[in-house]
Amino acid sequence: MPSNLDALTQRLVAAAQGQRSLTRLLGLAVVVLVLFSALSPNVFLSLINFQTIAFTVPEIGLLSLAIMVAMLTGGIDLSIVSMANLTALTTASLFAAFHATDATGGTAVLLTLLFVLAGLVVALLAGLFNGFLVAVVGVTPILATLGTMLLYNGIAIAWTGGEALYGMPDAFLALGNNTVAGLPISFVLFVLVGLALAVVVNRTPLGTKLRLVGANPTAARFSGIDNRRVLFLTYVVTSLLAGGAGIVLASHSASASADYGSSYLLLAIVVAILGGTNPSGGYGTVLGVVLATVTLQMVSSGFNIIRLSAFQYTIAQGLILVVVMVVDAIAQGRRSRRAVPPPGGTGPTPPAPRTDEVRSAASAPAS
Amino acid sequence: MSTTVSPAPARTDGGTGRRRWTARLRGQNNEGVLALTIVVLVVVMSFVNNDFFSVGTLFDVLRNSMVDMVFALGVLIVIISGGIDVSFPVIGIFAGYTTIVLARDGHFDPGVAGAFLIALVVGGLLGLVNGGLIARFKLPTLIVTLGTQGIFRGVLLAYIGSKYIATLPASVASLSTKDLVTHHDGGSITRLHVFIVPVVLLCVAVHWMLQRTMFGRGVFALGGDSESARRAGFPVVKLQLAIYVLVGLLAGVAGVMHVTLSRNANPYELAGTELDIIAAVVLGGASILGGRGSVLGAALGVVLISLIKNSLILMGVPGTWQRAAVGVLLVAGVSIQALGARKRSRRSSVELATAEV
Repeated sequence: MPSNLDALTQRLVAAAQGQRSLTRLLGLAVVVLVLFSALSPNVFLSLINFQTIAFTVPEIGLLSLAIMVAMLTGGIDLSIVSMANLTALTTASLFAAFHATDATGGTAVLLTLLFVLAGLVVALLAGLFNGFLVAVVGVTPILATLGTMLLYNGIAIAWTGGEALYGMPDAFLALGNNTVAGLPISFVLFVLVGLALAVVVNRTPLGTKLRLVGANPTAARFSGIDNRRVLFLTYVVTSLLAGGAGIVLASHSASASADYGSSYLLLAIVVAILGGTNPSGGYGTVLGVVLATVTLQMVSSGFNIIRLSAFQYTIAQGLILVVVMVVDAIAQGRRSRRAVPPPGGTGPTPPAPRTDEVRSAASAPAS
Repeated sequence: MSTTVSPAPARTDGGTGRRRWTARLRGQNNEGVLALTIVVLVVVMSFVNNDFFSVGTLFDVLRNSMVDMVFALGVLIVIISGGIDVSFPVIGIFAGYTTIVLARDGHFDPGVAGAFLIALVVGGLLGLVNGGLIARFKLPTLIVTLGTQGIFRGVLLAYIGSKYIATLPASVASLSTKDLVTHHDGGSITRLHVFIVPVVLLCVAVHWMLQRTMFGRGVFALGGDSESARRAGFPVVKLQLAIYVLVGLLAGVAGVMHVTLSRNANPYELAGTELDIIAAVVLGGASILGGRGSVLGAALGVVLISLIKNSLILMGVPGTWQRAAVGVLLVAGVSIQALGARKRSRRSSVELATAEV
């Protein structure tokens, strides 16, 4: 079957490309590190600064991992930030409802566990609905989650009247503000979640199915994979990651609101792409996304330190994304030109699927 | 292209006549369903609130839809071509704000035509950046426009200005109060702004362009399948470039309109509205996969959303529920479309296997 062969070569090429994207990302991280260390050795190269960076990594990292998982199956989840805020609001309002603001000791820990769980259940429900729309009803992911993004955000606004909720006990705030052996608790949790996700994606049948469904849904169906079930699970997983981000966000900022992190959606997509995720499905790594998160947060902190504005950081974000993509495209063009001697040849030479993929990626996140 | 309605094989005898009749009423992209929803909404609202069925409401809804409509035209073209653009509101405010800043710093009044000309140039250039990246390097449209959105917004706020400007050039300021029709209804006066004329003209022009020109054919072909479009002889690169420049131009027009109607220039506005407008266009039957969509559908989508917001206010529903209502509407709309598409594909599964996969 030529389609099997194509799928195989495609995967091999993707794997090779993945190695390259990881190496390049590592290079970018080192460049950023060296650049800002040289520009501001006293401030940037301090333990405090790296701790600050580590505090900001988990919330964006979790959201970016959620995007990566959705992109693995060739979809996207635009509702992640809305789900994160719903989770945070649930937990915060439960603390308020049970007058647990000043709880201490064992009760506080117990209530924190309980209410965080309740928040995650809300995220799970939102994810189930997303999964239902995508897998059962058959709505294109970008549309389904665009709708639920508005819906969940709308519910949050209607619920709070647009105001922020405060008043969470120290046990909960510790999650986002305390450190263990110099490392923020949230960062340690983030690393654990990342490891777990990496195992799921790389070492379990579900992970393989995720990538297969993303690489070629038709081939996946013919190999006996229940595409609907896989898609359903995808959006459940993204909702839980988003819920986790909501918890971290709430504990870090000691508040919850319907419109926190409105800029995070785009940032999370930027991070996922920068981390080497293929938006048309089939390829993405946890390590790449984590590395991309850390790199972008270093840029953000470095910009702060050398007193560039948030607006200039926005420019940098966009530029990094566009430049990485353009360099990629040029490199790919060169590779495929080298591999196909007569220009315009459409034979099944290995790199040919790559160029097709790039072309079809123009409408990628939709498919 | 392959997904547009093909003459359905007459499987059910006797019912075909009726089906063809209902199919025509429904329209190629469910425009009929949307129009019916609007009519039902208007009838129901007229019973709920006596003040609803009035010229005032009509003018309100139209006024609130004008800027969105122009943006929606650009979004429609991109979506039909199989792409997606999230940078257009930023291009719009970039063009609108820059126009006002230029006039202020240059101490001159560009006049209405001049203001639109400057905005067109700015919008077109920014669109050219998008188009260049997308067409030249064959990059995914969503990702490119996400990136350029950040760049444009950053450049606007960091280097052009981040302050609210309250005084517009005299010509633009006087335009902001020029009404086409003023309607006296008892004590209250409702106005229809003169911008309704160019908005309608733009709608007609884009409709004509999509339906009657080679460029329009190309846009649909590109959205159906870019590879087939290329082999059929469409200049795909030039076409994509033109599409994104056109979106930039439309966004520039919308930006100046927005600044004029709000009677001040605020560089923080518009950004973040991209998904709402995409939602309206999709509600109007445009397929996010490309190859399908109509100006009529997009216009109905924009009007429906504006109407819903207006109705909620009249019904005394707190404004905070508006977003949730639009979300419900969109989820329902796209679900119905998806189920409909599946029913269609089941009916002609053989056709589908050769046409759509």
